Amino acid sequence: MTQTRFETAESAAGTADVTAGTAAGAAGRRLAIEEAAARVIADPENSRLAARLLAGLIADEAAGHGVRTFSESVAATHAAGLVADRLAAFVAAHAAELDALITEETAFEYFGLRTVYDRYLLRHPETRKVLERPQHFFLRVACGLSETVAEAAELYGLMASLSYLPSSPTLFNSGARRPQLSSCFLLDSPRDELEAIYERYGQVARLSKYAGGIGVSWTRVRSRGSLIRGTNGHSNGIVPWLRTLDSSVAAVNQGGRRKGAACVYLETWHADIEEFLELRDNTGEDARRTHNLNLANWVPDEFMRRVEADAMWSLFDPKQVPYLTDLYGPAFDEAYRAAEADGAAVRRIPARTLYGRMMRTLAQTGNGWMTFKDAANRTSNQTARPENVIHLSNLCTEILEVTGDAETAVCNLGSVNLAAHLDGGDGLDWERLRRTVRTAVRFLDRTIDLGFYPTPEAETANRRWRPIGLGVMGLADVFFALRLPFDSSGALALSTRIAEEIALAAYDTSADLAVERGRHPSYDDTRAAGGVLHPDHYGAATSPEWAALRAKIAETGLRNSLMIAIAPTATIASIAGCYECIEPQVSNIFKRETLSGEFLQVNRYLVRDLQERGLWTPAVRDAIKRADGSVQDIPEIPDDLKVLYRTAWELPQKALIDLAAARTPYIDQSQSLNLFMATPTIGKLSSMYAYAWKSGLKTTYYLRSRPATRIAQTTVAQPVTAVPAADPDAVACSLENPEYCDACQ
Amino acid sequence: MLLDPGMDLTLRPMRYPDFYERYRAAIRNTWTVEEVDLHSDLADLARMTPQERHLINRLVAFFATGDSIVANNLVLNLYQHVNAPEARLYLSRQLFEEAVHVQFYLTLLDTYLPDHDERVKAFAAVEHIPSIRDKAEFCFRWIDSLGGLERLETKEDRRAFLLNLICFAACIEGLFFYGAFAYVYWFRSRGLLGGLATGTNWVFRDESMHMEFAFSVVDTVRAEEPELFDDKLGEQVTRMLEEAVAAELAFAADLCGEGMPGMGAEQMRRYLEYVADQRLARLGLPVRYGTANPFAFMEFQDVQELANFFERRVSAYQVAVEGNVTFDESF
Repeated sequence: MTQTRFETAESAAGTADVTAGTAAGAAGRRLAIEEAAARVIADPENSRLAARLLAGLIADEAAGHGVRTFSESVAATHAAGLVADRLAAFVAAHAAELDALITEETAFEYFGLRTVYDRYLLRHPETRKVLERPQHFFLRVACGLSETVAEAAELYGLMASLSYLPSSPTLFNSGARRPQLSSCFLLDSPRDELEAIYERYGQVARLSKYAGGIGVSWTRVRSRGSLIRGTNGHSNGIVPWLRTLDSSVAAVNQGGRRKGAACVYLETWHADIEEFLELRDNTGEDARRTHNLNLANWVPDEFMRRVEADAMWSLFDPKQVPYLTDLYGPAFDEAYRAAEADGAAVRRIPARTLYGRMMRTLAQTGNGWMTFKDAANRTSNQTARPENVIHLSNLCTEILEVTGDAETAVCNLGSVNLAAHLDGGDGLDWERLRRTVRTAVRFLDRTIDLGFYPTPEAETANRRWRPIGLGVMGLADVFFALRLPFDSSGALALSTRIAEEIALAAYDTSADLAVERGRHPSYDDTRAAGGVLHPDHYGAATSPEWAALRAKIAETGLRNSLMIAIAPTATIASIAGCYECIEPQVSNIFKRETLSGEFLQVNRYLVRDLQERGLWTPAVRDAIKRADGSVQDIPEIPDDLKVLYRTAWELPQKALIDLAAARTPYIDQSQSLNLFMATPTIGKLSSMYAYAWKSGLKTTYYLRSRPATRIAQTTVAQPVTAVPAADPDAVACSLENPEYCDACQ
Repeated sequence: MLLDPGMDLTLRPMRYPDFYERYRAAIRNTWTVEEVDLHSDLADLARMTPQERHLINRLVAFFATGDSIVANNLVLNLYQHVNAPEARLYLSRQLFEEAVHVQFYLTLLDTYLPDHDERVKAFAAVEHIPSIRDKAEFCFRWIDSLGGLERLETKEDRRAFLLNLICFAACIEGLFFYGAFAYVYWFRSRGLLGGLATGTNWVFRDESMHMEFAFSVVDTVRAEEPELFDDKLGEQVTRMLEEAVAAELAFAADLCGEGMPGMGAEQMRRYLEYVADQRLARLGLPVRYGTANPFAFMEFQDVQELANFFERRVSAYQVAVEGNVTFDESF
C-alpha cells in the first residue's frame, strides 16, 4: 500500500515540469523534490519521499567536499575553522567508534529535513556547500556536550530517533568555537539614568548576536513629563528609548540565521502604559511605534482585583516609587496603596478602561501578552529571600527567573517529543519517558558549564542558580494517536500525569547530580532548601513518590534551582515533525512560512483515518481547503472525526486554560501558552484573561486571531454560480483536468 | 436598480448590506507598507542569475504602473455608475487600498533599483517595453470604452459598463495581477524574495476582495436586469479574456525567455488559461480552455498561514475590535 503510493508520487515527481535544456543536474533534482513536497496534501507520504530525495542530494553535496563518514565531516568542519579543537580531538581519538554510531535510516519528514539542511548544517565558508549530513550534525551536537563516547551515544540516540531535541542555540553552536548554548536571557530594567540605559542596549546587542531571545523590563525608567534634574527639563518617557532598542534589535542579525528578537515588559502601574500599548499599532505616528519589539504586561494581582471590582487604578512615575518594582504580594499591595494615599500618582483611570485597552492591543496586534507578577513570584523556588524578585519573563513567556543589575537570568532549553514516546498501543511508554528526561536533564545541566556567555552578568547568574528548562512537544500528536479530544477529561488527566512524571524524574536526576557534582551555589537561598518543592504550593505533591523525593532532596539538595519550562518549540518541533509544545493544531491543512520558503503541512492522523474509510478524495481535500483547514462543515466526514480533529479556533479556549492550570503545579517556571480566537471581541477577551488569571496561570503568550478577509483560492475548484453550457471542447478538456472533474478520480 | 443613473445617498434602509459588510471586512485588514521588510531581499537579488534578474526588473516595471491604472478606472468609470452609497463606501476603501499598493510598489522599486536612471526607466516601461505597453494599452482601451458616458440610460450603456467592470476584475486584477503574483510565489517556493512575497500576500488578499466585490456587483445586476446578460455579452467577455491571456503571454515570453526550472512561457500559458477558466466559471460562462493548473506552488496560496514568530511579522491580526469589558462571555 505504502509502496504503491510512493511509486505514484515518484512518477508525479518524475514528470515534473522541467523546461528543456535548463534543468540539468541539481536544479532538476531540486525541482523534483519541490514538486513532491507540493503534493503532500494529496498524500502525506509524499513528504517522506521528498525527504528521501533531499537526503540523497545532501549526501552528494557533502561528498563533493570528500565527506562521507562522521569523522570526515568533523575533520572537514574543523579544517574550515567551524568547530572547536576540543571536539575535533575527541572525534579523531574515537573515530571508528563514533562512525559506527551513525544510523542511515532517519525519521525525518520533508519539512524537518529541509529545516536542518537550510539552517543547521555547517557549510563551507566559501563554497556554501554543506560539510556534514543531518545525522553527522546530530552526533556532532552530542559530542560537543559529551565527555565520553557512551555519553555521546546516549544523547545521539535520543536525537536520531527525534525523541528529544535541545533548543536551537545548542543545535547551532554545540561544538563550535564559541558555544553560546542558551536560548533565553532576561534583563532587569535599566536603572533610571542615561548610562544605565545605554549599557543595557549594549548587553542586549551582545546577547542577541549569539542567537538568544531577549526579555527586558523597562519599568524602572521614568515616565513622560518627569523632571530631569540635571537639565531642568522634562522626560519624554520610555517610548523614545524603546525606539532605540527596536532599531538596535533589528540591526543584530543572529549570524544570518535568524533575526534578533526581544520582548519588553512593563508593569501595569507605569504612567507610560497607554503609550506602551500602542507601540505595535500600524496606524498613528511612526515615531512612536516599534515594529520589531514584542510587548508584555507584567500585571500585579491588585490590578486584576480592581478590574473585577470596577475600581480606579493609579499610574505612577517610577522615579517617585522606585521600590514598587521590587515588591510583590501583600508587600506590593500595601506599598501601592500607601503611594496612592500619599497622592504620589501621576494620574488615575478606571481599571477597566486600562484592561479594555490591553485587550484591544491583544486583538489588534497579538502582542501585549498578559503575564502575572504575583503568581510568578509566589511559588518560585528562587524567591525564598525578599531581595530575590522576578521582574519579568522572557521572549516566549516560559522562563521566570530572578534578575538584578548584576544578574542577567539565563535559560538552557530542550524538549521531549511526546509523540516519540507512544507505546504503540493505548498509552505512553512511561519508563522510556523517564529515561529520556534523565538524559535530557544531565545534558541541560552540562550546557551550563560548557556554554560561552556573551556577558559577565549572564555567566554570574547562570553559575549561581543553574536553572534549566525542560519542556515537551507533540502533545497534540499524543491526543490524536490516543483519540482524546483536547477538551476531554481523558486528555486533562493524561496531560497532567505527563507533567507530573517529567517533574518527578527531573527533580530526582537533579538530586543525583547534586551528589555527583555539587548543589548549585545559591541552593541555600531557595525554597527547596526549606523543604518546599514547587508542587507543594498547590498541594499537588502528596503521593508517596513525592514524599520519597522530598526526603531525598533534604539530604542531597539540588543541582538546579529550576527545571521545567514549556517553550514554544517552533523550530525543533518542525525538525521532529510533531505539533508544537502543548498546542492544539491550528488547521488540518496549513502552510508554514519560514526564512527558507513555504511548506504545506497536512494533519497525517486525519488523512490516515480518512484513507482507511476511503474518504480522502480530491473533493474532500478541496472542501477542507475551502474551509481553511476545518472539517466541521463537511458532510462526508463522520462525527467522531469532527470532534477529534477540531482546530484551535474550534476548541473552547477554556479547555486550553484548564489543561495549563492543571499542569502548573509541575511547571516550576512557566509555559508558552498561546490562546486562539478567530474574531476577538473585548468582551470575550476580558472574560478569557480574567479566567486565566483566576486559574493561577503565571503567564500567557500570543493571542492568535484570523485575518478578516483572505486571498481568493486559485487551485481549489470554486462552486460555480451557473452551470457551463455543454460544450464538446469543455468535456474533452475536463478529462485531462483533474482539478475540474471529480469523476476521473 | 444598482445601475440606475443618479447619486443615491440613502443608507437606511440599506439595499445592499453585502457591499457594506465587504467594506467593513476590508477595513479590518488594514496594513501599511512600513510593515514589510524588503531589505532582506537584497541578498537574494545579489545572487540571482542575469535571467532571473531580468524577470524581476520587468516585473517591477509592470508593478510600477499597474495599480495606478486600476485606481484611475475606479475614479473615472466605476464610482460614477454604481449607484448605491454602500457600494461607493467599498469603492472608496478600494481606492485607498490601490494607493497603498502603489506606495508598496514604489517602495519596492526604490529598494530593488538603487540606481536613479533605472527607476526612471521602470516608470517609462509602460511606453517603451512592448510587452508592458501592450498590456497598458489593453487597459486604456477599456478605460476609454465608456467614452465619457455620464448616465447609463440604455441597455447598451449598461452592457458597456458591465464589460468595463468585468475587464478590470477578471482580466486586469484577476489575470494580469494573478500572473505577476505567480512569478513572486515561484521565487518564494525556492526560498527567495520573502519580503516581496509577504507584501504580495497582502496585496493579493486585497485584490481578491476587489475582484469578489466586482463579481458580486455583476451578480446583483444580473438578478435585477437578467436581460442584459445575453449571448453577445458572454462572447464579448470570452473574447476579452482571450485577448488578456494573449497579452499576458507575450509578457511571459519577454520575462521568461528560454525558461527556467519550474517557470517558463509554456507553463505560464497553462496557468493563465486555467485562471481565465476560473473567471469564466465564476461569471457563469462556459470554460474556454479546460487547462489544468501547472504550478503546484500556487497551492500554497490556498492554505492558511502559520507564521513563525521568530521569523516574520504576523499579518493576520485585525484592526477594528468591538465590545466592552465583561467577565461572563464564553470563550
